[in-house]
Amino acid sequence: MSLDKLLDLVNSYGSFLLNGLLISFYLTASSYLIGFALGVLISISRAYGPGFVKALCQAFVELTRGTPMLIQLFLIYYVLPRVDLALDPLPAAIIAIGLNSAAYQSEYLRASMSSISYSQWEAALSIGLTKLQAIREVILPQSIRIAIPTLANELIYLFKYSSVAYFITVPELIYVSKFIGSRTFLYIEVYSIIAVIYVAFSIAATEAFKFIERKTSIPGLRISARL
Amino acid sequence: MKVVLEVSNLWKFFGKSPVLRGVSFSVREGEAKVILGPSGAGKSTLLRCINLLIKPDRGSIILDGEEVTAPGVNVARVRSKIGFVFQHFNLFNHLTALENVMLGLIKVKGMNRDDAFKVARESLLSVGISEDLWSKYPAQLSGGQQQRVAIARAIAMSPRLVLFDEPTSALDPELIWEVLRVMEKMSKERMTMIVVTHELGFAMKVADEVVFMDSGAIVERGPPEEVILRPRNERVRRFMERMQYVYSLK
Repeated sequence: MSLDKLLDLVNSYGSFLLNGLLISFYLTASSYLIGFALGVLISISRAYGPGFVKALCQAFVELTRGTPMLIQLFLIYYVLPRVDLALDPLPAAIIAIGLNSAAYQSEYLRASMSSISYSQWEAALSIGLTKLQAIREVILPQSIRIAIPTLANELIYLFKYSSVAYFITVPELIYVSKFIGSRTFLYIEVYSIIAVIYVAFSIAATEAFKFIERKTSIPGLRISARL
Repeated sequence: MKVVLEVSNLWKFFGKSPVLRGVSFSVREGEAKVILGPSGAGKSTLLRCINLLIKPDRGSIILDGEEVTAPGVNVARVRSKIGFVFQHFNLFNHLTALENVMLGLIKVKGMNRDDAFKVARESLLSVGISEDLWSKYPAQLSGGQQQRVAIARAIAMSPRLVLFDEPTSALDPELIWEVLRVMEKMSKERMTMIVVTHELGFAMKVADEVVFMDSGAIVERGPPEEVILRPRNERVRRFMERMQYVYSLK
């Protein structure tokens, strides 16, 4: 692996890699946000919803966590067309990965919700807030703060694991690297480049979430570990 | 004088064991009622039933002529008319002192931020929380300050009635003083209140009527001098003797 070869690669296939990177970003960001929005809904339903909604959400979480994401991806991409719901590769991947992430994110949020003491709930109701208002104004703002480190974890994980979309021909980072590799036989070089990209993303995301954590920390509130 | 609250034959079971066994009393406008009694007597449960944080199993609660225990009642609306001050303050941890007071005004009363701010300012000043503390978070305040903010949060909603659940039990003695002073002032301003407490001095000074509860029932009631200094019931007498040992300076 020489510097010349690397530079050559970047020169001739830089725009390919960049496109792959953008697709990966797009895929990760979209499915992460879908996962977060659904995760919030699921965690609230499981904590405060009526029995059957609770059961439904629990079934979704168990099934989603219990099966490989690849199978979920195939189901959405290859099976849905049989009921006349054909999706392009990218939207199919966003939906599959988003749903998968929702199951995990709902569990992170549920755990942090259960760490908010019942007295906060009582106080919220006592001033006349409805249950929904109490959740939105009092429980969620506190529990999301607590979940920030695990939510960061999920984003970093998704950026890497979203590469399973490669299997349904989404031209994300792994896909384009394979393509470039097969054209140039510089597999090691191209994989080294994207490995650096993955690490850079991970570090950037970690720092970004640290920043958010600092910005949203509640003054004076003592926690048992300050990291 | 007008009756604000009427509690009749209230029963509450936790599992099979009764926590409230047919409690009845009424509170007139401007009255300060103090509830005394040993722990486990059902005092906190009674307060939580009154603002519907706990649903009673039997009996009725009438607030301002409306039976709030009837089915189909909007519980959030009822609670917005009843202030509740908790033993452990229960301020919203993620909000400043000022925001704690403003939240209900904005979300429940539908005020805009300016109006909510004006009301919150008055409430905070009336409990002696000065402007330099308004932007502090609960964790940056002393216990006494937190409890006074909690009182401000309750009275800002202009409730018909304020319930206090052992408001000073989690405080150091000097902080107890600052909270009791605020409560005494509220009572002088004719705020209707029900106070569960062990502060006999406060009960003597402020209570219009003292109610003594034991095992889920009211066992004695009357003017504070009667119930505290000359109790008739044997259980109450024993309780007061023990209180004498704890609080007497002689």
